[in-house]
Amino acid sequence: MSSVLTEDLGPRGRQRVQIANWISLVVVLAIAAFVIYRIAVTGNFAPELYEQFISLDEGWVQFVIAGLGNTIRAALIAMVFATAIGFFFALARIARNPVSRALARVYIDVFRSIPLLLLILFGFFGIQQFVNISQLTGLVIGLTLYNSAVLAEIFRAGILSLSKGQSEAASSLGMTYWQSMQLVILPQAVRRMIPAIVAQLATLTKDTSLGFVIGYEEALRRAGALAQAPPSNQLQAFVFAGILYFIVIFALARIARRLEVRSRRRYGAARMEGGAGLEDIDALGEEADEEELAEREMEPAVSG
Amino acid sequence: MNPITFLIDNWDLYINGFIRLFQAANLAFVFAMVVGVVIASFRVSPIRPLQRFAAFYVTVFRNTPLLIIFFLFFFGLPKLGFTFTPFVSTVIVMSLYTGAYLGETVRSGINSVDSGQAEAARAIGLNFREVLGTVVIPQALRTVVGPIGNLYIANAKNTVIATTIGLFVETTAAQRLANSTGQPIAAFAAAAIFFVVWLLIAAQIFTSIEQRVAFKR
Repeated sequence: MSSVLTEDLGPRGRQRVQIANWISLVVVLAIAAFVIYRIAVTGNFAPELYEQFISLDEGWVQFVIAGLGNTIRAALIAMVFATAIGFFFALARIARNPVSRALARVYIDVFRSIPLLLLILFGFFGIQQFVNISQLTGLVIGLTLYNSAVLAEIFRAGILSLSKGQSEAASSLGMTYWQSMQLVILPQAVRRMIPAIVAQLATLTKDTSLGFVIGYEEALRRAGALAQAPPSNQLQAFVFAGILYFIVIFALARIARRLEVRSRRRYGAARMEGGAGLEDIDALGEEADEEELAEREMEPAVSG
Repeated sequence: MNPITFLIDNWDLYINGFIRLFQAANLAFVFAMVVGVVIASFRVSPIRPLQRFAAFYVTVFRNTPLLIIFFLFFFGLPKLGFTFTPFVSTVIVMSLYTGAYLGETVRSGINSVDSGQAEAARAIGLNFREVLGTVVIPQALRTVVGPIGNLYIANAKNTVIATTIGLFVETTAAQRLANSTGQPIAAFAAAAIFFVVWLLIAAQIFTSIEQRVAFKR
């Protein structure tokens, strides 16, 4: 691979890169070896510490099936509510009525600024003052408050990314505001937003782990509970919980990336500007960047 | 009781927690910038093992919940014989975590720098490090001021998760007050006031920096 940063190397340069390759390989392997050495030396490779997670017994069923199931359940419920409420506030934020615009802006700015952990604590302990709610409800309320505000900004950025000509054309055809929204604006905007939305939903799933702090029985808490009983294997338990979360989140992030690549190919480089949560999708452009690079590299081959 | 009077009554507890949090978050962000630039340089370097390492690092840190990273660091590492104080743990975990995101952001900035810039720099005889350090990265950082600002805010909010490992930050104060006074709503709302003020100001600052230095492509 050669990026624009390095030219095609001559023999000496190639030799230098080769040497650097070996040196860095040795360094990386040395770090890995040191970690493995520490794990071995402190006796953390002992098989009984892993038994709980490998054998298909009760623990495995309770931990993986139930814990991961709870994680996904909370994430799915929160996704539905956050998307619906976020959509509502996005529409309110770009409405013509200044009062609704101001209210939506306050909602979005406030809930985006408050740390999610605080919202979850608030959603559970605060509301429990008045009505008795389950941990699941508290977690969903916290996740929904935060993510609806973030998603609202994504929806808004998506709608505003459309050229003004679209809504002007719609209204010159005699469509009302709602007609042009439904028939012209949203169908196009939603397509552009989908990668950012999926990326945000991956973040939401990741944040479900915060249910731990209010005692929601998701995968992390189940893992922690398993580690409490002897053998005391917190390290292993948290690594396994991490792997479980990683699989789910990575799959979602992967889907988001695919969608991003596809939409870029289809709609050219037009992208949404600004808005929250987009730092994720910006960074997610990895594969897209690589494909673009591949295209760019192909061009000179054709012309030259 | 309303949050404002609650806040005034417990001012010392809140402001101490907040200062601690503010220090941890900003310190972590400075280190995260370093981590991010290093990771981004690894990813665009011609050296394969470094590319792979950086890609692995970014994938792992971006797809694992922060809470689990905190737990691994604070409860897992002592099992391997490494122990850090909560404050140091917080700063390290946050700079590694935010650094992964910053790395990707900086890299997308590097990719957005016109290839003519790097070519011109090479043409006047700069080597890889000079091309990257004096020509490409300074321009790359300017184009990603906006995303970096977003990450600063995300970093500040994520630092709160450190309360779970017992770092005495503001929300711990709020949690304890919520328990002891039986007024969780006022206690949490009072804590939230700090964030709304802090982060709205930070957002303003980043917007004005962006307007000053950024050039649109």
